[in-house]
Amino acid sequence: MIAIVENGAGPVAEVSPLEKLKRTVSASRLNCWLQCRLKFYFRYVLKLTKPKTPALHFGSVVHLVLQQWNLTRWRKQPFELEKLKSVFTTGWLDQGGRIEWDGEEPEQKQTAWLTLEKYFCDTPIKADELPAAVEVPVEADLSQHGLPQLIGVLDLVRAVGRIVDFKTTGKTPDEALTLHQNGVQLDCYSVLYREATGQREAGRELHHLVKTKNPKLVITTTGPMPEYQRSRLFRLMENYVEGLDREDFVPAPGFGCLGCEFLNECRQWNGGH
Amino acid sequence: MILFEANYSKKIGLPGYSSHQFSVSLKTELADVGQVQTESSRLYALLQQSVDSNIKQVGFLPGEAKTNGNGQNGHPHSVRPAEETWKCSPAQKELILKITDEHKLDKTQVDQLALDRFGKGVKALNKLEASGLIDELLVQTGQSQPRTGRFSKAGGR
Repeated sequence: MIAIVENGAGPVAEVSPLEKLKRTVSASRLNCWLQCRLKFYFRYVLKLTKPKTPALHFGSVVHLVLQQWNLTRWRKQPFELEKLKSVFTTGWLDQGGRIEWDGEEPEQKQTAWLTLEKYFCDTPIKADELPAAVEVPVEADLSQHGLPQLIGVLDLVRAVGRIVDFKTTGKTPDEALTLHQNGVQLDCYSVLYREATGQREAGRELHHLVKTKNPKLVITTTGPMPEYQRSRLFRLMENYVEGLDREDFVPAPGFGCLGCEFLNECRQWNGGH
Repeated sequence: MILFEANYSKKIGLPGYSSHQFSVSLKTELADVGQVQTESSRLYALLQQSVDSNIKQVGFLPGEAKTNGNGQNGHPHSVRPAEETWKCSPAQKELILKITDEHKLDKTQVDQLALDRFGKGVKALNKLEASGLIDELLVQTGQSQPRTGRFSKAGGR
């Protein structure tokens, strides 16, 4: 984040990655922590980097184009599909890097653009609907709860105060399950929104761009964060802080290992000794 | 006989998106046209002083009904300097002013940008809106592209 989250006041003493992680938390970090603490350790403490996967690249470029589309409306500029296509084409090249495509790049690229076209065709957001916020970094001081500072970037806040997060997926999401799976992220965004505006959000929306051969758009909506969800989120954050204090970096073997980029490192883990 | 009419009006912003205004009008007669300039200056100073001395009494403000309805300690409210009414965080305020100063941006244009995007002036922007304005100022001054960094690498935020 450029603007506020890391805009510290002057030079600071060298701080270890672990100490930094204790000071701030994001939805991504929290989700990773809950998924597998050893994965968290490899990603955020050791900061091991891995090549981008095709799926991540796909999602990155789709997000980039959606961001431009939202900014265009925010700046009251006309919708021009060709300009967005140009952003897409450039983004696909710029953000490429070292990706193992196995010969599937042309097909993936075509699917990505078709998915976006489907979104622009079916989206409930009108061409003249002005966003309240696009890709904004926000933070919430939770020190009064004994918790780290919460940071995050909101994809889109619609004019009426509805928080929107864009997702790309290969499978049509189930409504109840997807709200549960994305609950931590949505609740983090609610806390951030309320801190930044002093108001309760009107609702939350997940816009799933389903990247099948015939792309689909599935929108899942839910209301403002209820109080018990906020308590639940804060309990998870407590667990995060306590776990970091104990350096509790143990693996959680399971279905999540299928797509884990640290599978080899995990297999060699000796218990931290 | 020449009829001379003077009016002085002032409107100021108050906390909580409030504002109030006060105007004083005065009609007088002049003997000849040669008195206009002198009389105009005298009346302007007189009316301005009159308005300024009264407009300091803010009176009731929404959301402050618990303060005796009369201000703290029973005294009328006095006008707070406009600089104190920023709604965003101190760090955001500092950054907006820094970008404006360093790039010699016209403050009126920055305010107009805020009005255009959010329907309110810079000082009235909340933290969410100020964050968006800062990003836009950084893009407009060539210091950053729209936020693409978060999409460019593996791993979370």
